[in-house]
Amino acid sequence: FTSLRECKMQDFGSLILEELDKANQLDSLKFAQRHEVDEQKIVGAIKSLESLGDVIQTKIYQVKSWQLTAEGKEVAANGSHEYRVYSAVPDSGIQQSKLMSSCGAFGKVGFSKAMSAGWIKIDKSQGAPVVMKLVESASDTVGEHMVLIQKGESEKVDAKLKGEYKKRKLLEEVVDKHYTINKGTNFRTKIEKAPTELTADMIASGTWKTTSLKPYNLDALGVETGGGCLHPLLKVRAEYRQIFLEMGFSEMRTNNFVESSFWNFDALFQPQQHPARDAHDTFFISDPATSNNFPSDYLARVKQVHSEGGYESQGYGYDWKIDEAQKNLLRTHTTAVSARMLYECAQKDKFVPQKLFSIDRVFRNETLDATHLAEFHQIEGVVADYGITLGHCIGVINTFFTKLGIEKLRFKPAYNPYTEPSMEIFSYHEGLGKWVEIGNSGMFRPEMLLPMGLPEGVNCIGFGLSLERPTMIKYKIDNIRDLVGHKVNLEMVKRNPICRIDKSGTGEERRLQVLNRRWANIESKLSCIQKQMEVMGISTATAHGMAADSSDGNLMDVVIKVHPDKPPYSLQLLLNVLKKRFKVAASTHTHSSVKSAGSLVLSSDESRITADVKITLIYSNVTRPTMIVKNAQIQGEENIVRYLARILDSRGGGNLYESLDSKVVAQIDNILDRLTDASKHSVSTLIPGILTKSKYLAGNRVTIADILAYSLCKQAAVSNSSIKDWSKRVEDAIAKM
Amino acid sequence: MPTISVKRDILHDALGRTYTEQEFDELCFEFGLELDEVVTEKNDDGKEEIVYKIEIGANRYDLLCVEGLARALLVFQNKMKIPKYELSKPGKMERLEVDPSVLQVRPHVVGAVLRNVTFTKERYDSFIELQDKLHQNLARKRTLASVGTHDLDTIKGPFRYMARPPADIKFVPLNQTKELSSAELMDLYSTDSHLKPYLPIIRDSPVYPVIYDSNNVVLSLPPIINGEHSKITLKTRNVFIECTCTDLTKGKIVLDTLVTMFSQYSDTPFVIEPVETVSQGETSIYPSLKYRTETIRAEKCNNLVGVNQGPKEIAKLLSKMCLESKVNPDDSISVTIPPTRHDVIHPCDIYEDVAIAYGYNNITKLTPGTLTVAQQLPINKLTDQLREAVAQSGFTEALTFSLCSRDDVAAKMRKKIEDIPAVHIGNPKTLEFQVARTALLPGLLKTVQANRNMPLPLKIFEISDVVLKDGGTEVGARNERHLSALFYNKTSGFEIIHGLLDRIMQLLEVPR
Repeated sequence: FTSLRECKMQDFGSLILEELDKANQLDSLKFAQRHEVDEQKIVGAIKSLESLGDVIQTKIYQVKSWQLTAEGKEVAANGSHEYRVYSAVPDSGIQQSKLMSSCGAFGKVGFSKAMSAGWIKIDKSQGAPVVMKLVESASDTVGEHMVLIQKGESEKVDAKLKGEYKKRKLLEEVVDKHYTINKGTNFRTKIEKAPTELTADMIASGTWKTTSLKPYNLDALGVETGGGCLHPLLKVRAEYRQIFLEMGFSEMRTNNFVESSFWNFDALFQPQQHPARDAHDTFFISDPATSNNFPSDYLARVKQVHSEGGYESQGYGYDWKIDEAQKNLLRTHTTAVSARMLYECAQKDKFVPQKLFSIDRVFRNETLDATHLAEFHQIEGVVADYGITLGHCIGVINTFFTKLGIEKLRFKPAYNPYTEPSMEIFSYHEGLGKWVEIGNSGMFRPEMLLPMGLPEGVNCIGFGLSLERPTMIKYKIDNIRDLVGHKVNLEMVKRNPICRIDKSGTGEERRLQVLNRRWANIESKLSCIQKQMEVMGISTATAHGMAADSSDGNLMDVVIKVHPDKPPYSLQLLLNVLKKRFKVAASTHTHSSVKSAGSLVLSSDESRITADVKITLIYSNVTRPTMIVKNAQIQGEENIVRYLARILDSRGGGNLYESLDSKVVAQIDNILDRLTDASKHSVSTLIPGILTKSKYLAGNRVTIADILAYSLCKQAAVSNSSIKDWSKRVEDAIAKM
Repeated sequence: MPTISVKRDILHDALGRTYTEQEFDELCFEFGLELDEVVTEKNDDGKEEIVYKIEIGANRYDLLCVEGLARALLVFQNKMKIPKYELSKPGKMERLEVDPSVLQVRPHVVGAVLRNVTFTKERYDSFIELQDKLHQNLARKRTLASVGTHDLDTIKGPFRYMARPPADIKFVPLNQTKELSSAELMDLYSTDSHLKPYLPIIRDSPVYPVIYDSNNVVLSLPPIINGEHSKITLKTRNVFIECTCTDLTKGKIVLDTLVTMFSQYSDTPFVIEPVETVSQGETSIYPSLKYRTETIRAEKCNNLVGVNQGPKEIAKLLSKMCLESKVNPDDSISVTIPPTRHDVIHPCDIYEDVAIAYGYNNITKLTPGTLTVAQQLPINKLTDQLREAVAQSGFTEALTFSLCSRDDVAAKMRKKIEDIPAVHIGNPKTLEFQVARTALLPGLLKTVQANRNMPLPLKIFEISDVVLKDGGTEVGARNERHLSALFYNKTSGFEIIHGLLDRIMQLLEVPR
């Protein structure tokens, strides 16, 4: 086996099986030592044998051993720091500063160790301190011990000394895992490499019947699919387009970014001094700078309605100038196109009702920020017909947004130069918990429609919103540049999900919905308890946290029965908080059904007569902790904690449970559920797992989730460093409350 | 939309009760206002006060101060009668004489007097604040109109409005101690952040407009600054208001708004003393305080709003909106539009007020009855079909800007800008918005540049509009739908793009 070190893993595998066949049992460490290979390679081979089914059986055992740290290795090689300092002192002595600079990094430690070993002394009689040898020769025990340990003969070093070396960070104790290997039920010495793929040949030859295939690894990722992807914003655009088409809206011809001021503003009865017509807000075109070809009679009517009025209007009473109307610009809204469409429609012999939509780019010369760009997509819908009312406008918008999955809408009066009445559309944002503006709408003014030649009685409603804003909200994108433009990350485009616009919310929000359902579930359970209590003759008002009957000086009088094996440490914490807020009388008793009391004793100095809160703890032979409140029973430590916290929150400003944010409360309930189901083992892994994300179990403040978990850990005597730290934090936080 | 700041406690006083923030927000929403923000500000005494920032519709000049806002909300809640604004009949009217010299610069002036006014610190601040809001919004940063207010007891009419060469106008401007010529004054204010924006309105004019009293005291140098001499203080009892303008309609609205709002603090509230303006031999009397009557019919209103209200109900609803209304024997409704509601210029404005008073959210939702058949724009349909097909061919879609720099379409593509039929933007704020793109390729190249960390090869495409100058069209330019695709790798991979092109031709049934 001279070439064993170059062996591949399956070769080790066969070797293990061969030796195991003879020896019946193997030890991974000894095996590795015998063949002078790294044990990790052997472990790899064992793992791969394990995956074959029950060919071998393994058991893990742990061995603690001492290993040198980097510093320890250095000492093993060069001698201990103190010995090297000692050796650096000449018989005639040396100035301390010189000695230190010659010894470098180990000087300081070595010097103090050598001093305390009595090897050297300091002579200050000459002024500058001089170091002298105190003994003629010294033996470097530390260095020798390091060499011994390095050789694996650590048993030759005294255990107490090893402890000291550990403190000096020369040694560390390592736990190694090794395997004992036994034959499994399917033991065989020959292993064939399991094929990973079923092939056409196997099927043709029939070998698939006897071949054992390597199981699929379902935890690994599959191969990425090829192919291209569509852009997220345009996927949303397609969805909006679809909705308009479903509602019978026809698409407008919006492929003209350059527009004249006349169609963009004047035709819409937007006065020439309107701020939107400022160079600050609009991109004007220098080449081609103007348009001249307007329908002349229509132009005259527009001029008249602006300057003098007409069509029952007072007009704006200003001097309307054709030059202003001729200026070319990049359209600021697609309503310019709607105006053209309505004008076209008015030129037909007979008016035909219109439902029109468009989704296209518009331009604003605005200050750019994280949510505004100089160009964006406007979504617009227009309906023109006889007898159309504001009620229709609200109805159409409502249908449109319902199709988007937005149902809670309300409308606010607003101002817009070309619509009257005008409405801003607000929707209730569940996530933000408030109404947010999502669009604009209104009925086009007669001063806009009548000069076009549309018949009297034809009303026209319009509504608009931007495409980017809802898309950013949907995909949780904060900066619009991450969505539109050349700086967009193509990886984001690839990963973006398909647009199911009526399915509200992201994965995160759906998880929140699950939490909400869980919360509703708990509430229904609580109301069930409440009903039980009512049956027992306790009114709901008092059951609800006992808030109602505090005036009689008797806030709470409860008896809690627990098994002595499970002392309710949660009560101890809560009692500390209660005592600071109320007069609390607490006492502990032991029932004859159990031999002895639990390790926790609740007590107080307050007498039962003057106390508002009375807690009696009885150790008895019960399977679950049970609290008796006015003849009703509450079972389970988690529910007792909930009950007490509720009273503390509502009456004592406790902020431990229901007075917190509803999201946090849902989180607490979730943790309480998980803790209640947890066995000892999972409590010890569950808690550190949650704590990696926050200081306490439910965020950065102590809650009843911590209080219950604290109690469970203490009952089960679970302790590791992270739980210890956290327990201390919980105790401190409670003490400060 | 303008936003006004109102101290909460003052607002509560004016409204006669306190509101929680939510209650007030609801009231605002219903009325068409938005409680934008609630902030805490330190007042002059260092005390913290809660201030509401309220967004007002751009056409509601009558709501730009706490006086008007409270008045409108009280009327809306039927807690106050609509006030009647009246002109007094003074023995001798103050007069503004317009000299022909000013006609070329800033031709109009209107004026009014508020008699026996009692100011407090808050009222005074609100008065100044309203002037500022009107200057900013309605008067388009003082270009259309600007107001000067003066302590009438410090000056003596008749007042003369004329234009003089800048060097000839000398006075002590507001809050200054030294007399300055208007040229010096222009220098002084060229560093003043508040006044600087208004200087260009007259700076280059050979003559500046100015108002003198009969003792040659300068009242103001419109639209820049008033004189220190006639400054109003908390002790001022009689206020002379002059408003010079280039747009007389706007000037009248500004004056009407100011006097209707602040005549509230006169000893006889809502009574205003008129001032006559004599220009080119013609005498006009201001403020106009014109009440106009519109006659509307309930059916028409119902047909527009989508409700079914009788004439009486409609009249009642309108009265909530400060539009006094009465039902005529023929069931028509006469609506009186007060001088505070210059925004009402058409019956549809009245219908809107009916809808607001009825409550937008109480209106029944309806669905249009006419059947329409939806039609896609052919080019957009084809675009969507092609986008799918190109993505299926392994290319990922980019979405780039339609505006770019001249260099992007010319120099960087080794072309001359003169040879490119690009549409040029006259007022770009940055280089990125100099022209509308004439090709999609520059945008795709920039996309590659921003994605250099992606694994190769990159295959991207875009189907979108470019803009080309075209003298044959109405506006001189047209959009053209382009498809552009780009392959980026360590080898040129011409055959990849070639293959895509073949595929597109195949899909479009274009024969070889």
